[in-house]
Amino acid sequence: MSELGMIIDIIEGTTFAMTPLVLAAIGEIFNERAGIVNIGLEGIMLISGFMAVVAAEATLNPFIGVLAGVATGAFIGLIHGYITAYLKGDHIISGLGINLFALGGVAFGIEAVWGVRGYHTPPDAAKVPDLPVINISPIFIAMILIVIGTHYLLYRTSIGLKVRAVGENPEAADVVGVNVERVQLLATIYGAALTGLAGAFLSIDWLTAITKELPAGRGFIALALVNFANWSPLLALGGGLLFGFFWTLGEWIKNMAAVKAVIPVTLMNTIPYIATLAVVAGLIGKSRPPRYVGRPYKRE
Amino acid sequence: MNDVIVQMKNIVKIYPDGTVALRGVDFEVRKGEIHGLLGENGAGKTTLMKILSGLLRPTSGEIYIAGKKVSFKSASEALKHGIGMVHQHLALVPAFTAYENIVLGLPGREASREKIEKLMEETGLKVPLDALVEDLPFGVRQRIEIIKMLYRNVDILILDEPTTNLTPIETKELFHTLKELKKRGKTIIFITHKLREVLEVTDRITVLRRGRVVGRTETAKATPEMLAKMMVGREVVMKIEKKPAKPGEPVLIVKDLWVKNDLGEWAVKGLSFAVYSGEIFGIAGVEGNGQTELVEAITGLRRVEKGQVILMGKDVTNRSPSELYRLGLSHIPEDRHKLGLVLDMTVSENSILGIHRLKKFLGSLLNLKWRVIDKHAREIIEKFEIVAPGTRAPARSLSGGNQQKLVVGRELSKSPQVIVAAQPTRGLDVAATEYIRKLLIKMRDKGKAVLLVSADLDEILQLSDRMAVMYEGEFMGIAKPEELTEERIGLMMGGYKMEQISAGTKPQPAASS
Amino acid sequence: MPSSQFWIIFKEKLERVAEIVIAIIIGFIIAGIMMWLGGYDPIAAYIAMFEYSFSLTDPYYLAMTLSFAAPVMLTAITFAVGVRAGLFNIGAEGQLYMGALGAIMVASWSLPGPLYLPLAMIIGSLMGAAWGLIAGVLKVYRGVNEVVSTIMLNWIAFWIVEYARVYVYPNPIDASKTISMPPAGRLPILIKGTELSASFIVSLVFVGIAFYLLWYMVLGYEIRATGLNPSAARYGGINPKKTMLWAFIIGGIAAGLAGVCEIAGRPPSYAITTGLSNLMGLGFDGITVSLLGANHPLGIIPASIFIGALSSGARGMQIVTNVPLEMVKAVQGIIIIALAVPGIVRLIRSKILRREVKVV
Repeated sequence: MSELGMIIDIIEGTTFAMTPLVLAAIGEIFNERAGIVNIGLEGIMLISGFMAVVAAEATLNPFIGVLAGVATGAFIGLIHGYITAYLKGDHIISGLGINLFALGGVAFGIEAVWGVRGYHTPPDAAKVPDLPVINISPIFIAMILIVIGTHYLLYRTSIGLKVRAVGENPEAADVVGVNVERVQLLATIYGAALTGLAGAFLSIDWLTAITKELPAGRGFIALALVNFANWSPLLALGGGLLFGFFWTLGEWIKNMAAVKAVIPVTLMNTIPYIATLAVVAGLIGKSRPPRYVGRPYKRE
Repeated sequence: MNDVIVQMKNIVKIYPDGTVALRGVDFEVRKGEIHGLLGENGAGKTTLMKILSGLLRPTSGEIYIAGKKVSFKSASEALKHGIGMVHQHLALVPAFTAYENIVLGLPGREASREKIEKLMEETGLKVPLDALVEDLPFGVRQRIEIIKMLYRNVDILILDEPTTNLTPIETKELFHTLKELKKRGKTIIFITHKLREVLEVTDRITVLRRGRVVGRTETAKATPEMLAKMMVGREVVMKIEKKPAKPGEPVLIVKDLWVKNDLGEWAVKGLSFAVYSGEIFGIAGVEGNGQTELVEAITGLRRVEKGQVILMGKDVTNRSPSELYRLGLSHIPEDRHKLGLVLDMTVSENSILGIHRLKKFLGSLLNLKWRVIDKHAREIIEKFEIVAPGTRAPARSLSGGNQQKLVVGRELSKSPQVIVAAQPTRGLDVAATEYIRKLLIKMRDKGKAVLLVSADLDEILQLSDRMAVMYEGEFMGIAKPEELTEERIGLMMGGYKMEQISAGTKPQPAASS
Repeated sequence: MPSSQFWIIFKEKLERVAEIVIAIIIGFIIAGIMMWLGGYDPIAAYIAMFEYSFSLTDPYYLAMTLSFAAPVMLTAITFAVGVRAGLFNIGAEGQLYMGALGAIMVASWSLPGPLYLPLAMIIGSLMGAAWGLIAGVLKVYRGVNEVVSTIMLNWIAFWIVEYARVYVYPNPIDASKTISMPPAGRLPILIKGTELSASFIVSLVFVGIAFYLLWYMVLGYEIRATGLNPSAARYGGINPKKTMLWAFIIGGIAAGLAGVCEIAGRPPSYAITTGLSNLMGLGFDGITVSLLGANHPLGIIPASIFIGALSSGARGMQIVTNVPLEMVKAVQGIIIIALAVPGIVRLIRSKILRREVKVV
């Protein structure tokens, strides 16, 4: 293969690898800006990915599949948001529950729907088609627009002001008539919906398969990315590019015959996780989370 | 009486935990006046005003605004009725600019820079709109909060202890502003426990004590003595008997100490002083002038960047708290909830915090001998007259005063040589305050060295044998309390060094407080 | 006076138990709805689940329940000690893999028979502890959030052990698993014909040690103080960094030991199987157990038996009603989500009270 071809492949690969990471990270940035932590990203990706396949396959319409993924994410966000914002529940425990539920629920679902254990591939008609000419997903383009839109929403609108105020000092927002709980709930729904889109992207676009390991830790890498990006959507895009690039490069290297002979693929599979750890460990002290993130807001 | 704008009738507030904060309060404010709401800590002033501003709901009682009955479900509803409250800890978002804070929560079209600038022009309340609030001094933040209220057309402005964190000069400016707002027809409710201030700025005064109204008066007819009597319920004889000090050796020496705050700015700038055994050395000053950082540096909780701390003749700069305890240091921290206690642990468990590795509490398996520890806790409970359901009840279940006594009791059970006491009576009732103050004097008489840091000037004046006034990380002067007049202390708290003052004024006889 | 203190504590504990029971009921109801939607009979499934976990006629099933309770009891300690120190250590999964790898490593050596078991336990728990300590060091010295780091470490451990399974310790006879622990290194079976081995006793003993450590030893006191109020702990002369590291180490030992027990005490294979299938999920189950047991060692014992029963009953559910056994993981997820709601009892009670008031 020519070198140019390899470079194009890596660029295209990067656009795919970064999309789910950035989508989930942007969503999480949005709800963390409003003070809600959702560590259930992994689980949301998984359930949304599953629902996307179910819907796309039933209708043979990938667009409906994507919608189903987004709606599933939003619904889980509604539950998590209601528990954390209104019932003042523990953010981390609720998120853990989502992740565990997803593991069992999707494995159950795959068997209940298709009668197979653990792995299902949807038909081609259910797959989101790539853009013409270049091998890039329309969801990648959507992701770019979402990043810009979310950035604008957060920093240039009165809605964004409310969202950020709620995460920094909910009392201050409360006193001037901002409905803290409603803002938090809506932000969580928005965040989870984007993560749902990431799940749909994984199952009916990039990987075109559903297994219970579909997200393979991407939900948690997205959490690391939130930290890396210092809670800024634009930086998350940059960080996602970096993470996606290394992920793609890792996939490339591990499948090169010369490398394979020395280091088995199984061992090379650790690279994205080690890289994530290294990156997060390298940026101590530089990031500042929203001041009131993860704490239930109680009056009196 | 048709100018009554706020009328609260028979307001009762019982908190979910059973605490009765208000026992049937009637409260009236006339349009366009500055009304002082006077009372001690825990009298119910803030609770009453939180009810008026919609933050709390009364257990029973009625509220009328301009003759119409209202019942607010939230602060924003009260705001819509023109009632706004400026809290002691200011409800601002530190990471936002002044402008963002002012327009927060308003629909986009109602946010207008020009209008805010016009409002600032008219009222003389000037703030830098594009500066981040976290970079601004407290006085300016308070102004932002007031502008925020005025921009929302608040007619009734409630200020909760607004001068607590202000310098004397900022206080003067604030009073000027309040009078200016009054001229413009605003009604102002001024919550305070400071007699001088309430006399200086208000038109009428309501005095609360333990959830009841105990007095109403025109300010013109009030005297400090009568207000004090109403507020406390007896003549204020806060004069504590104390023998002359017999200072011995310097047991705590601080040399050219430099310490940074959490934001990395210098909070303590080259302080040097010594505390002798058998004396109480008091540090006065408006809060936030580096006292917290100073105490933390001395007690091993904060890094000393430069300089030395010498305890009992040993250099202990940047040593760990446990080492300092072993050398005879006790620390009564300013925030008992954050530092002094683990609220969810039991009384017993809290009674050994910091001394839990003492041999007498440890078994051979590095296990804790709970029987010995329970006995230790019971001794503290008895000795310090603590009201507690039992030694195995969580510290959370104790009242504030008893929690503080537990902290003090534990710290004194370390049989220390040097006691660092930061705001030891904050938030306590009169009885507990007196108890703890007497205890500190008793420790002094036993030959211990006491470093007392307090924002309560009366406390410093009453207890200290020598005192310093701290301002922006430096001492404005060290003197005996009887050598200082209130005016001179006030000037020092506002940033004038003692030498500067002495040059201009004659030394005056002892202060009268 | 002591009686009022007793009642306060008793009422709190009772409320906590009620909360947990309600969460479990919610979990079963929602999972039942899911089964019904998936075309299964939830009632029959639950009956089968009960039969295969607590059957009174055949002790086999109870033995299976207890055998599944053993490892999750240990991984629950990992999570619980973390929570007590103010940490969300969800890395028991990876630490358990490493512990199992340690046991296989020992199994591969030629040793005098009696040495296998103690060496496996030491090496396995040390490897678990080391794996936990990585997250601890990253947290304490680099400020890395332990939720992210432990998950990353879980994945890294998964691939390392998977690598070792295929390339370092493959079973020459059966490609689907590693070499087995030699018979001399196996934990004795307690009830013949079942999988219940002495690993249950090992787990119980370890839980007892953890209980003693947390409530009767200085280190436990320091761990709990750090978790409840790190500033006060520091003020009390406790070094929170050190206690957190200890919490990771103790947690790692527990999870590593669980991994060893799965190798030395789980018939028939006494090995690591393809895709780590015999280990997978045991670490995460520990989180459920710990939360159900109120993060208290003494609560963890009954909670682990409950989760053990779910695992054992899940097999029955699959055999009798064809419901995929992963269903029980979904039940666990829902239970945890329900447990995240604080004061669920008070919530329900106030709803009922409000209704009663309306009726009056």
